Amino acid sequence: MPLEISISVQAEGFDPGVEYNLLRSENYVDGATAMFVGNVRDFSPAESGEQHSVAVLELEHYPGMAEAALTDIARQAAQRWPLGRVRIIHRFGPLAAGDEIVFVGATSAHRQAALDACAFIMDFLKSRAPFWKREFAKGADKGDWVQARNSDEDALKKW
Amino acid sequence: MIKVLFFASLREQLGCEGLQAEAAGITDIAGLRTRLAAKGREWRAALASDQLQVALNQKLSSMDAAVKDGDEVAFFPPVTGG
Repeated sequence: MPLEISISVQAEGFDPGVEYNLLRSENYVDGATAMFVGNVRDFSPAESGEQHSVAVLELEHYPGMAEAALTDIARQAAQRWPLGRVRIIHRFGPLAAGDEIVFVGATSAHRQAALDACAFIMDFLKSRAPFWKREFAKGADKGDWVQARNSDEDALKKW
Repeated sequence: MIKVLFFASLREQLGCEGLQAEAAGITDIAGLRTRLAAKGREWRAALASDQLQVALNQKLSSMDAAVKDGDEVAFFPPVTGG
């Protein structure tokens, strides 16, 4: 099917089941649908030192650029693989443990294309889309900004 | 004027979400950064980070990119979304 890219940057939650149905609706040519959902953990896996609990994860974003960056990443994926529908949702604002943060879905005639496109989009989203996480421990009014990891930047090299 | 924005930990360090900078005398983002760093000790320290990222008109850019009147420049720490 012709390429359809849909991007949402939103405070509201989303339903992965609804998103799956939208990816599949009247789509009879793409035999493959791959999806990734990222969720909030209740701990921070400190790279050094002890891990600590996280009650609230707050996401800040750059309005306008966030949507543009995600659209650009989706287009790059569509240039590399024969994709039908591409859907990206990224939330902002305060989120609780278990909440969905991010959704990436891609349809294709080919399984490997759909899977690779999702992985590619997530890898670039993590290092190129303007979102920043801040973690709050239970009862804390001051949060800790999450530090970017070198491994995220390294992940881009495989593409 | 150049519209300047700051995000995340940088915004907090500076206590400033954004400002309008006079475009006269500024040719590139590095020049804008130098001008901003002269605003005080906090500004010099926060903008000195070699991790500092920059976007020009809402696209990732680099310090040597040319800027002109009417542009939007955003400075921020490395992104941590997803």
